[in-house]
Amino acid sequence: MTAPSTAATSGLRARLQGRSELGVAALLAVIAIVIAVDTANIRHTAINAGVMGPRVVPTIIAIGLGLCAIALAISVLRGGHADAEDGEDIDLSQKAHWPTVFGLGGLILVFALSMDFLGFVIGSALLFYGSALLLGSRRFVWALVIGILLAVGTFYGFVLGLGINLPAGLLTGIL
Amino acid sequence: MDNLALLMEGFSNALTLQNLLFALIGVLLGTAVGVLPGIGPAMTVALLLPLTYALDVTGSLIMFAGIYYGGMYGGSTTSILLNTPGESSSVVTALEGNKMAKAGRGAQALATAAIGSFVAGTLATGALVFVAPFVVAMAIGLGAPSYFAMMVFAFIAVSTVLGSSRIRGLASLFIGLTIGLVGLDGTTGQPRLTFGQPLLSGGIDVVVIAVALFAVGEALWIAAHLRHGTPATIPVGVPWMRKDDWKRSWKPWLRGTVIGFPFGAIPAGGAEIPTFLSYVTEKKLSKHPEQFGHGAIEGVAGPEAANNASAAGTLVPLLTLGLPTTATAAVMILAFNQYGINPGPLLFQTEPVLVWTLIASLFIGNTLLLALNLPLAPLWAKLLRIPRPYLYAGILFFATLGAYAAGMQTFNIGILLLLGALGYMARRFGFPVLPIIVGAILGPEMERQLRRALQISAGDPAALVSEPLAVVVYSVIVLFLIGPPLVKALRRRFGRGGPADGPLAGGSMDDTDGYGAEADETVEFDAFGTRTSDGSARVIRVVRPKVGRREK
Repeated sequence: MTAPSTAATSGLRARLQGRSELGVAALLAVIAIVIAVDTANIRHTAINAGVMGPRVVPTIIAIGLGLCAIALAISVLRGGHADAEDGEDIDLSQKAHWPTVFGLGGLILVFALSMDFLGFVIGSALLFYGSALLLGSRRFVWALVIGILLAVGTFYGFVLGLGINLPAGLLTGIL
Repeated sequence: MDNLALLMEGFSNALTLQNLLFALIGVLLGTAVGVLPGIGPAMTVALLLPLTYALDVTGSLIMFAGIYYGGMYGGSTTSILLNTPGESSSVVTALEGNKMAKAGRGAQALATAAIGSFVAGTLATGALVFVAPFVVAMAIGLGAPSYFAMMVFAFIAVSTVLGSSRIRGLASLFIGLTIGLVGLDGTTGQPRLTFGQPLLSGGIDVVVIAVALFAVGEALWIAAHLRHGTPATIPVGVPWMRKDDWKRSWKPWLRGTVIGFPFGAIPAGGAEIPTFLSYVTEKKLSKHPEQFGHGAIEGVAGPEAANNASAAGTLVPLLTLGLPTTATAAVMILAFNQYGINPGPLLFQTEPVLVWTLIASLFIGNTLLLALNLPLAPLWAKLLRIPRPYLYAGILFFATLGAYAAGMQTFNIGILLLLGALGYMARRFGFPVLPIIVGAILGPEMERQLRRALQISAGDPAALVSEPLAVVVYSVIVLFLIGPPLVKALRRRFGRGGPADGPLAGGSMDDTDGYGAEADETVEFDAFGTRTSDGSARVIRVVRPKVGRREK
């Protein structure tokens, strides 16, 4: 995938954009194939051989996705494209900053994997801190303080206010 | 009237001290979160959903009603003071509202938005009281073929009428249906798309889908293109209006309500079309058309009223038919489902107390909103200046929390990340998000209705058109699909018509029963459905680059 660049290079931009969206069409086609294979493997026993088995709707969806993939590929090759979403804090004139995106994704993944060991408070405080730094915060102490307050506050809010116990992990016995 | 008696009972349930407190908390939180830049009403309700987990059904729905209206009001504050609508329905509000704020009339813009929202919300909720039982009475007699047809209609409407590209809309819909497919088949118990993973056999929690698409997708997308430096916000005092402003506002409020409610009530959804129609109408009827584009108060009053009235209107198909037609309604259905309650015609019979308490609390929430937000507006304006790294880090924090709390499974966070990437992709390539979430929620239900329809007829597909309403709905769908290209072709041949002749022709606007309106309005819907989306898109494109230049 490529990022939209400035309007000055619109010819190149249009070509690159067109090419990257072909990837989306390919993804749709792959999903259609996955559904088709999965559906073919559904065991169709005598009990559920009634009027409409479990295969009908997935088959329709797979065909629909496949048609969308083809139509999208044709549309993209003919130069069609939709505008990327704009918004208050979005500057589409700059390229997508992949380190930030993958960094944030990685942080979420680490948070999920370490939940049982670190517990919610440590994990989510680190998630907030890391995300804030990745997003450009340079107030290293402040961001950490906010993260810890947010995590501890949420933990007790859930336990005391909602009666939902979040995992305490390393801090079991302390919190 | 029977309805009124039931509503009064609802009021007596909702007006306990505890429930009023829940409503107050809901309104405050909804506004505070909704006003944050980058957070639209749908994300507000999705992020705040876990808060209602521990409450009983009534308390939770009352709080949710507050969050719902609060989130909507917060969104309009953002668009007026920042010119940066969080949701497509507040795009039109930003057109004139932000110009007013820049001209030093932000207080009046906020006031007309707040009072207009109150007037429209109250009138439209009143309309809901009378329309909903009528629709229920009709819906009770409907069979599976009609339900199936209406779901197909909702699918086609959210994926092809709104948004700029039909192919992308349909692709989004099919992706949503795919997500809804995951899990054990409801009737036969066969696993589908679970890949042998037992945690997937219960399906993907819809809360996780909603939070991933709205919150994580949005945060990642913004993170990739984060504008450096906080955009300039306009400080504002306590909202107030002069006599002249009242004079210019009250008619647009009422007209906006009349335009907004029917559009919300037909299961086609979306506040984009009614808000834009209201804008065009006010521009045409205004005594000061020259002020439009420079901060005309009518251009804020009308669309804001239309927005709120259509939001109340979407509760008609949501409560009576179980059809969510906007992103916010899609999340609201989750609030019901977590208590095992399925919105639909039976809801009014099995849970009358609950339904009428909810409707009563909509009135209460609306009133609280007005009472709170006029004095608190300067405070909300300060929230707009929250440093962006903290804001988006906070969104990710609460999104992961919400996904985890949905089933106490870290596995959900993995799904959250995957679907968040999907949400990112949708934003990058201009795929609409609404069809994904509607497809994921309604897909399994649609399969159930299809099965039921075919079971009755022993597999004969002719059963699908065995009910008159189903036939009507399918004809409307065909008009939907053929209409816009036909109009476009005709226009190309015969030249453009006047841009504003459509909304004034709204003869059936006061036909609020949902069904009659559906059939009557189709023609206009088609005839300027495309014109509307073209038109609004063009206006946005004109406005946005100016902002970019100013801020650089």
